[in-house]
Amino acid sequence: MMIAAYGLCKHFPVRGAFRTTTSLRAVDDVGLKIQREQVVGLVGESGSGKSTVGRCLIRLLNPTDGEILFDIPDPELAEYEKARGAGATARLDAIADRFSLLRRSSSELRSIRRRVNIVFQDPYSSLNPRWKLSDVIGEPMLSTRYCSRAEAEVRARELLREVGLPEFFEDRYPHELSGGQRQRVAIARAISTNPKLLILDEPTSALDVSVQAQILNLLRRLREKYGISMLLITHNIAVVAYLAEYVYVMYAGKIMEWGDKGKVLRDPQHPYTKALMSSVPVAGEKRTRSILRGDPPNLITPPLACRFHPRCPVAFEVCGWSAEEVAEDLEYLLAGKYFGTFGDAAQVLAEGDRTILIQGTTDATGIQELVGLEREDVRSLKSVQAVDKMPEGIVLRLHEPVDPEMYPSADGREVKCLLFRTGGSTLAANA
Amino acid sequence: MSDALAIRDVHVQFHTRRGVYKALNGVNLRLRRGEVLGIAGESGCGKTTMGLAVMSLLPRNASIPRGQVIFDNKDLVNLPREYSERVGDRFNPKENERILRRVGKAMTRIRGQRISMVFQEPMTSLNPVLPVGFQVAETIYVHNPALLARRVLARSKATPSLMQDLLRLLDQTHGDEAAVTEFAADHGLPGIEEQALFVWRREDVHVSRKEKAIRSLSGQSMNPLERNIIVAVVKAGSIPPQFARVPILSRVVRRVLVKEGYRKALELLTSLGIHHAERVVKMYPHELSGGMRQRVVIAIALANNPEIVIMDEPTSAVDVTVQAQILDLVKRIRTSVSASFIVISHDLAVLAEVSDRIAIMYAGRIVEVSSVDEILHHPLHPYTQMLISAIPTLEAKPVEGIKGEVPDMRDPPGGCAFHPRCPFAFEKCLSIVPIDFRQGTDQLVACWLYEGK
Repeated sequence: MMIAAYGLCKHFPVRGAFRTTTSLRAVDDVGLKIQREQVVGLVGESGSGKSTVGRCLIRLLNPTDGEILFDIPDPELAEYEKARGAGATARLDAIADRFSLLRRSSSELRSIRRRVNIVFQDPYSSLNPRWKLSDVIGEPMLSTRYCSRAEAEVRARELLREVGLPEFFEDRYPHELSGGQRQRVAIARAISTNPKLLILDEPTSALDVSVQAQILNLLRRLREKYGISMLLITHNIAVVAYLAEYVYVMYAGKIMEWGDKGKVLRDPQHPYTKALMSSVPVAGEKRTRSILRGDPPNLITPPLACRFHPRCPVAFEVCGWSAEEVAEDLEYLLAGKYFGTFGDAAQVLAEGDRTILIQGTTDATGIQELVGLEREDVRSLKSVQAVDKMPEGIVLRLHEPVDPEMYPSADGREVKCLLFRTGGSTLAANA
Repeated sequence: MSDALAIRDVHVQFHTRRGVYKALNGVNLRLRRGEVLGIAGESGCGKTTMGLAVMSLLPRNASIPRGQVIFDNKDLVNLPREYSERVGDRFNPKENERILRRVGKAMTRIRGQRISMVFQEPMTSLNPVLPVGFQVAETIYVHNPALLARRVLARSKATPSLMQDLLRLLDQTHGDEAAVTEFAADHGLPGIEEQALFVWRREDVHVSRKEKAIRSLSGQSMNPLERNIIVAVVKAGSIPPQFARVPILSRVVRRVLVKEGYRKALELLTSLGIHHAERVVKMYPHELSGGMRQRVVIAIALANNPEIVIMDEPTSAVDVTVQAQILDLVKRIRTSVSASFIVISHDLAVLAEVSDRIAIMYAGRIVEVSSVDEILHHPLHPYTQMLISAIPTLEAKPVEGIKGEVPDMRDPPGGCAFHPRCPFAFEKCLSIVPIDFRQGTDQLVACWLYEGK
């Protein structure tokens, strides 16, 4: 295994008013594996945390929590996973001491940086404008003590040829190059120390399609020639389809689904992946798409349980509805569609996290009926477990939310959705 | 039927310290009435410059040595062109700026009113210190104050019994627009019809509440001063100069009409699929998500019922799921609005989704125009063919980049600008600029390969 991450978290501190500090949970409990010589795609919308994962994997950022094992032989990895499952801390530590990236000192990291490298999104800002290209390409070789200065210069010329640029470019400066040429230079720099793992962070997003195609073909050729493992981070699903073998789909800091590229892209299982795939415009293809409502959530106060549930078209009882969400939808219905049905004084209040109080009306059966009628359209109402008439008003109690885990599906992929829990959809089916 | 807009042989050059960039080199394009025309091309091919030229929003260092933009039988670029013709090489940005200022004054009657534009980045095209509702309201207040005045006046004149009649009419005709407009005209209440119809057509509101809302349109009292001013505005069709000049009066006009503009903004935003528009109109741009901001910008563009809407990369700054929402919205508004659209994008798949015809640009010239199906399935120009084969698909078909680089527009190649990258180029391509050849019924291609075919 080239690299394996378990329970990776990255929380960024956010300074609020009055010196309070909250954290933005950019990446939460992400597991990811890349085999040797494998290309793995990581797709998601902007803000889903995919770049943060990429940076954590090579320790450009230090993860808040989790474990990253680098270049670990498969038997040890199997043992590690077994120990992890059993909770055998001593054994875990012993293996982690040898392979964990997080326990490496900075001098050890320097030698590891020969074996991993990264290509950044924007080739206009990732190249130092005051350096000649030969210096740009040679820098990683010198800083990781991969080879001597003289050797680095020779190799820089070789690499320029390798990525399809003429050798005399070595004396040029980045501003003399077009976007596509710059990205070629960035790739030459990244492969200069013969890395085993390459993180590609949106390598073609800043480029035009005609140039993007050139870069994609270059990456494909390099990968076949040198057998480099790659993590391809992108929002462009077609790019992943072109290069990768496995795909991870991220949403709001969590992995939603992963598996074989063909299966995930052609037959997505997770409701989010389904919506994502149907949103991708394909030239010359008219199709009905499932359009998601709303926007990705705020990660300072992320939604409970499944982070996708507020936008999910098939969310059900235990997906994580909070009293506030239900109260807001109920209020909207009472003020709109059901205006006047329960009198003008009806007031919806969220009491704590799991109960809602409706004041100003005593018609509990009416509310019960409303919930029953609207629950298919207004998904949050599904979470209402019981409607009771109390002296202080009508009290609605909600189902306890269940945190989804990665549930393996029959064809070898894993889906983080309660619908795929073994016997998990029973509640949905019974309801 | 005549075209909504005709762009004829437009050349635009940018004069910079590093030389003269020939951004547009003879663009010919006709926008038909009611159609959605997509413009595709790589960055730097002049898509946006063309949009700006139509809007007369080019910067002061841009000259227009040749060409016409014909809108409503008028040439929108004649002044800058005449200036460029007169001075030739001795182009002076300062003098040009004076010309542009004059053009700008003349354009206020057209820009934002009859031709409007949605810019690329919604965050930068909204003012961060003003509520979004105000920004929509202001657009209407500046261009069409009489519309707002009519709406206020109609509400103050309406009586409860008239509104009861209107409700009955709405119920009988199921919200027929013509009938309601006629009713409003007959009873001297022009301006009430769109307000009533808006409430009637809302889907998220219960019928009993709609009735209450329509009844409440009546009987709003106004003080005599306001009333006299509003009547004068309605009569004059715009704000009469005596009110505009006297500060105390102009403030009254502004207060009443901008307040009304908020109501209109609320209607517009709701029709563009924004929930809780009552809250959204009071928010500032930074409080809105990318998709919402884009909707607000579209609302501003549509506020004055323009004849032409130019959308410059409407979905480039948003995520793919939000992009799907916006595309769906664009498809919906084109059926409900009688405008023609120009949609500019680098993404052919996005254009294919919303357009009727697509024009492909390369190096400041249109190389091919035709219907969406023809462009995608039978592209004629070598550039179009190569562009389409460079787009990666979900099926992971092999992609082919276009060799070489986009030409330096300070010194573009002679003849066909694509010839250095074209595998089919022959002698003629090197020296003579290709003209448009008509292929089939509705396909134009600027390539010598199709001469005499």
